[in-house]
Amino acid sequence: MGKPTNVRNMSVIAHVDHGKSTLTDSLVSKAGIIAEAKAGDARYMDTRADEKERGITIKSTAISMFFHMPDDDLKEVKQKTDGGDFLINLIDSPGHVDFSSEVTAALRVTDGALVVVDTIDGVCVQTETVLRQALGERIKPVVIINKVDRALLELQLTKEDLYTTFRRTIESVNVIISTYFDKALGDCQVYPEKGTVAFGSGLHGWAFTLRQFAQRYAKKFGVDSEKMMTRLWGENFFNPATKKWVTSSDAGNGKQLERAFSVFVLDPIFRLFDAIMNVKKDATTSMLEKLGIQLKADEKELEGKPLMKVVMKKFLPAGDALLEMIVIHLPSPALAQRYRYDTLYEGPLDDECAVGIRDCNPEGPLMLYISKMVPTSDKGRFYAFGRVFSGTVRGGLKVRIQGPNYVVGKKEDLFIKSIQRVVLMMGRTVESLDDCPAGNIVGIVGIDQFLLKSGTITTSETAHNLKVMKFSVSPVVRVAVEVKNANDLPKLVEGLKRLSKSDPCVLCYTSESGEHIVAGAGELHLEICLKDLEEDHAQVPLIKGNPVVQFCETVQAESNIVCLSKSPNKHNRIFMKAFPIQEECAADIESGKISPKDDFKARAKILAEEYGWDVTDARKIWCFGPDTTGANLLVDVTKGVQYLNEIKDSCVTAFQWATKEGCIADENMRAIRFNILDVVLHADAIHRGGGQIIPTARRVCFASMLAGNPGIMEPVYLVEIQCPESAMGGIYGVLNRRRGHVFAEEPRIGTPLYNIKAYLPVMESFGFTASLREATGGQAFPQCVFDHWQLLNGSPLEPGKVKDIITAVRKRKGLAEEIPPFDRFYDKL
Amino acid sequence: MTLFVVGLGLADERDITVKGLDAVKSCERIYLEAYTSILMVPKERLEAFYGKPVIVADREMVESEADVILHNADKVNVAFLVVGDPFGATTHTDLVVRAKENSIPVVSIHNASIMNAIGCCGLQLYNYGQTISIVFFTENWRPDSFYDKIKQNRDLGLHTLCLLDIKVKEQSLENMARGRKIYEPPRYMTVNQAVEQLLEIEEKRQQNGKWLRGGMESVRSIYSPNTIAVGLARVGAEDQTIIAGTMQELLTADFGGPLHSFVIPGNMHFLEADILRTYAVNRETFNANAVVLEH
Repeated sequence: MGKPTNVRNMSVIAHVDHGKSTLTDSLVSKAGIIAEAKAGDARYMDTRADEKERGITIKSTAISMFFHMPDDDLKEVKQKTDGGDFLINLIDSPGHVDFSSEVTAALRVTDGALVVVDTIDGVCVQTETVLRQALGERIKPVVIINKVDRALLELQLTKEDLYTTFRRTIESVNVIISTYFDKALGDCQVYPEKGTVAFGSGLHGWAFTLRQFAQRYAKKFGVDSEKMMTRLWGENFFNPATKKWVTSSDAGNGKQLERAFSVFVLDPIFRLFDAIMNVKKDATTSMLEKLGIQLKADEKELEGKPLMKVVMKKFLPAGDALLEMIVIHLPSPALAQRYRYDTLYEGPLDDECAVGIRDCNPEGPLMLYISKMVPTSDKGRFYAFGRVFSGTVRGGLKVRIQGPNYVVGKKEDLFIKSIQRVVLMMGRTVESLDDCPAGNIVGIVGIDQFLLKSGTITTSETAHNLKVMKFSVSPVVRVAVEVKNANDLPKLVEGLKRLSKSDPCVLCYTSESGEHIVAGAGELHLEICLKDLEEDHAQVPLIKGNPVVQFCETVQAESNIVCLSKSPNKHNRIFMKAFPIQEECAADIESGKISPKDDFKARAKILAEEYGWDVTDARKIWCFGPDTTGANLLVDVTKGVQYLNEIKDSCVTAFQWATKEGCIADENMRAIRFNILDVVLHADAIHRGGGQIIPTARRVCFASMLAGNPGIMEPVYLVEIQCPESAMGGIYGVLNRRRGHVFAEEPRIGTPLYNIKAYLPVMESFGFTASLREATGGQAFPQCVFDHWQLLNGSPLEPGKVKDIITAVRKRKGLAEEIPPFDRFYDKL
Repeated sequence: MTLFVVGLGLADERDITVKGLDAVKSCERIYLEAYTSILMVPKERLEAFYGKPVIVADREMVESEADVILHNADKVNVAFLVVGDPFGATTHTDLVVRAKENSIPVVSIHNASIMNAIGCCGLQLYNYGQTISIVFFTENWRPDSFYDKIKQNRDLGLHTLCLLDIKVKEQSLENMARGRKIYEPPRYMTVNQAVEQLLEIEEKRQQNGKWLRGGMESVRSIYSPNTIAVGLARVGAEDQTIIAGTMQELLTADFGGPLHSFVIPGNMHFLEADILRTYAVNRETFNANAVVLEH
């Protein structure tokens, strides 16, 4: 632990149901934490009852393991090491998109990722999403192609077909990796011949990289194992007649050669499978002898699948192969922090904290990022889970706890408290530590009440924050909850606070009308959150409302007149017009490509070149909103107005407020550009204070929005479904009834399955999974992830469907049913 | 019939003019504007003196509900009482415009305002330049455009009258955003606070100026801690207080309760200086720092 070069922090990421948790079992059993026999069934990392029941992971779980590498193998590790003992901190993450915020939180504290891909399903949406997230955090991937047993047993693929499947999968992984190429991270593509791709079966507990086979054959062929590895993949053939390696399958005498991968790697496995599954006892025994596999007495009695499981586990133990791959190819914190520190730290890159992080220095100032909160067995308390990037953390240490809104030198969002205890997270249990140096993943006890979800822990007074995580999902589905018995209300409020802590993505708040709202990424996420709330956090019976979606208010055209609002004292006037922002531009703002933190000149250049803005205007963007980052812009296009800078603050406040709670239905605004055209102000500051300007600027925003043919946007999911052809009719039917439409339909090469991609309005998605199962006889399982906002056809101001929706929203929020009229915000000259 | 806009003068209920009192007595409804300035007596004293009820009109009422004030003013007399002079430092022109739009005759009855009573400190009214207001600085809002006006006045050798911010019935930003009618406790700026803010702005401008000029030469300052200035409190009341001294001295001088005003003299006529000297904290520092035209 004290040697950062011998630590590996890694997460296991993949599409749902590709076998992360099962595979992790093999690693955990290798470390001796669970019995080897149980590996594959235990799902050790699924710590919650509902996770086991549903067979999906909901929360990411961490475990620390020791691994010893023999000296012979140590020379393969191309980075600096210190002895053969390694500490591996592993985080198993959920695969379902609804929980991808958990993945984000896991990735932040790790340096490497084991990407699990199903042989049969190949690369799926979530595989791509998590890979993109990983590379965005500068995390190096290695790949395991899982469920090879299914390809052999169920699909009965030939060796050549299997090779092609592998190659295709690896290629698609590499395409994604090269798309998100990051210079600082270097080339991250994975190659079997370099040992960064493993093949195996989590369920059966076996896996291998070419390294294992290369070592076996290296002696036989008298070459070193690295050279052997390159020969075992791709267009390399061994001609047994001439005893020569060639690069073409043509043996010269009309015979075809089998590629080396098939001959040397797949062949023994195929033969073993064949012998065991078809109960050829003699052949089995002789093969076992050849491979040097010893069976115990009781194991000899087994046959068929159970026998194969035992044999394969002894032949190619998954734990060894994977841990070796992890240790050899994934970076140590000492190595990784050198190229990650500039993306991790918000402050200047030459201050003591940045240097501490860069050097992974245990003597430096403490810099610890808390990425999530893990519930303890003690109800209502949490371990703060995170990574020490610099310095050493120990119990009793007095630290600064900096929340995400902390700004250096200010006192907001800052607490100074002592750490009670430091623990090592071991899946279901924890182990106390005296201290923990830079480069490790730890749990901290005693600071949970000072942090909302995440934050920076430091000892340096000048430390800036470690960068806040950006989630790929947003809480678009909301539900109102209330207590059955009014007396339980305090418990609900307390429960909501705890729920909000325990999940990186969930949003809990109280609406204007006093409703308690829980917002989540999707139906499943919300379901789990509410269950937790009811059973664990609040522990009182609850009444849950129907899920509702968030809308956005926007404009569909430029304001038809110049709008004017006068201040209450009538001495100040603001003139404004609203314009729609192009969808692409709004999406760029939301993805952070165009952000308020950019240099204003660089930002203006992008806006001018890509979106046709006037450069002068683009340089005078006052702010983004709502919440200072949203996709609405306040732009100063005035010419020579005196004292304008003295009302800027008031205008910004008003704009934030107006864009947060629009006038149509109190929902966020989106994709609106507000141009301040002119301002007439009183000469004296006392008559143009916030009390005068803020209400005026807000009213003029509303007026110009109402004059710009307002529209309503609804969130839309991207749905990916894999199904056999027979189920497609059912899928189309369900989607059509729910205003969804399919935009891509591809057969998966090498399988009888189809990949369907469709857009589905979130509003229509409630109960979608269930009705899809019904319509397809359980053959289709959808993955929904928020994709974009879509304009609803029609205007909220005229009678019609949109108006009905808005009226319902207003009613629910306890607002007056009528949308306020234009002249409430517009003043005549 | 008529909207009377009546000036109440500076200190108490008896400062109203005889003409003003007659007008008030003829009125059906009497509104007291109580946010741009305050009288030093409670409204009950006014009611007792007029023998009529007085409605306190806060900012919201005057700005958002002018129609309520003007309601049937074409049939009955309505009085709108303003502390000081109706058209002095205050800004009720909007009410007058609205009354005229509704064909309600408007009669204004003048009175003393800080704008003329300020003469009491000895600096002649002829020699004042633009009047400025100094507002309470907040964390992010520190408007300093008044600095340029002080500069212009001083360049011409003119005195500057600084009116100091008062905050009566102001909402906090959060309450305003939530539409809650919860008000902050009233605040009145003291001379000490005004001097502190003025000095802060001077320093900021100096630094900005230096930075603009590449740090080579310093910028001419408009005033400094050694500049002579005058602080006044409760002008027109019995316990009126006037203190002259360097800004440094005024930073800690005790002026008592509200309302406070502040003057930065320009070039002083010797007679002006003679009177001002009688209010000086310290005659030596006054003589050393005052800019007096002796010939």
